[in-house]
Amino acid sequence: MSFDFDAGKYAVYLWPAFAISAAAFAWMIADSLLTTRRWKREAERLQAELNEVGQEGVGP
Amino acid sequence: MDARHTFDFLTNPERFMAFSRWAAPWLGALSALAGIAGLIMTFLVPEDYQQGDTVRMMFIHIPAASLAIFIYVCLGAASFLALVFRQALADLAAQACAPIGAAYTALALITGSLWGKPMWGAWWVWDARLTSVLVLLLFYLGYMALRGALEDEQKAARAAAILALVGLINLPIVKFSVEWWNTLHQGSSTFMAKDGDGLPAIYAWPAVLMGLAYLGGFGALWLVRIRGLVWRRKARSLAMKLAEGAR
Repeated sequence: MSFDFDAGKYAVYLWPAFAISAAAFAWMIADSLLTTRRWKREAERLQAELNEVGQEGVGP
Repeated sequence: MDARHTFDFLTNPERFMAFSRWAAPWLGALSALAGIAGLIMTFLVPEDYQQGDTVRMMFIHIPAASLAIFIYVCLGAASFLALVFRQALADLAAQACAPIGAAYTALALITGSLWGKPMWGAWWVWDARLTSVLVLLLFYLGYMALRGALEDEQKAARAAAILALVGLINLPIVKFSVEWWNTLHQGSSTFMAKDGDGLPAIYAWPAVLMGLAYLGGFGALWLVRIRGLVWRRKARSLAMKLAEGAR
């Protein structure tokens, strides 16, 4: 068995399908991780601010 | 273990955060491994005698389409738990899975269109399967739009949950459309295939591996997005507390 990357006349359909799928996953991963990190940092910043003024924080 | 506490890690935010902290990267890693193995096998299997190289499209189209339905079941279940049992974490779970479901559904439609053009001679036909999947995408988009449109988050969550439950009616239509109506889209060729319509054994491995990759990918992304929403809720509570303290 060997790799077959030559899609011939169907390459124009096959490769865009794989490229779009890869791009969609890259976007979903990046968006999920970045959004989560941003809110985590924001919560930690606010928690630190609350600690400074001597108030208790809140649970998750 | 007390049965009431069996699913505590999914309903108690603190335990969920501890569980998802290790579960998300593990699921992501397993999904990546399955995806790499699946992609290798995708380009190792021989082309189909009828469909030629376009048969490789199957390994990204079928998982996306199957997961589009499965994710909607998750959205419906989470919405039900949020609406009936007022589970706050279930509401966040519903909110987190809608954009992933929309992306998987869009991928199913786009890859299906790119497969349909060389096989059917058309990018799109208004047959029952394609139309019902388009309706599924509209339900996902409608859910997200409704959540974003109302300022009162609780009202938005309730309205979106009701919409998600209404959308469940569409799922059997998507699934059985190829049996109930005469469609250009073929019937099932995987686990529920009729005799003679089943997938040849050589295509089963890449199909299963890519299916696991898409499923694991959804699981990991879902957990990460729920974590993000838990952090956002915490940040908002802290901001309110700070504002109250400043008065």
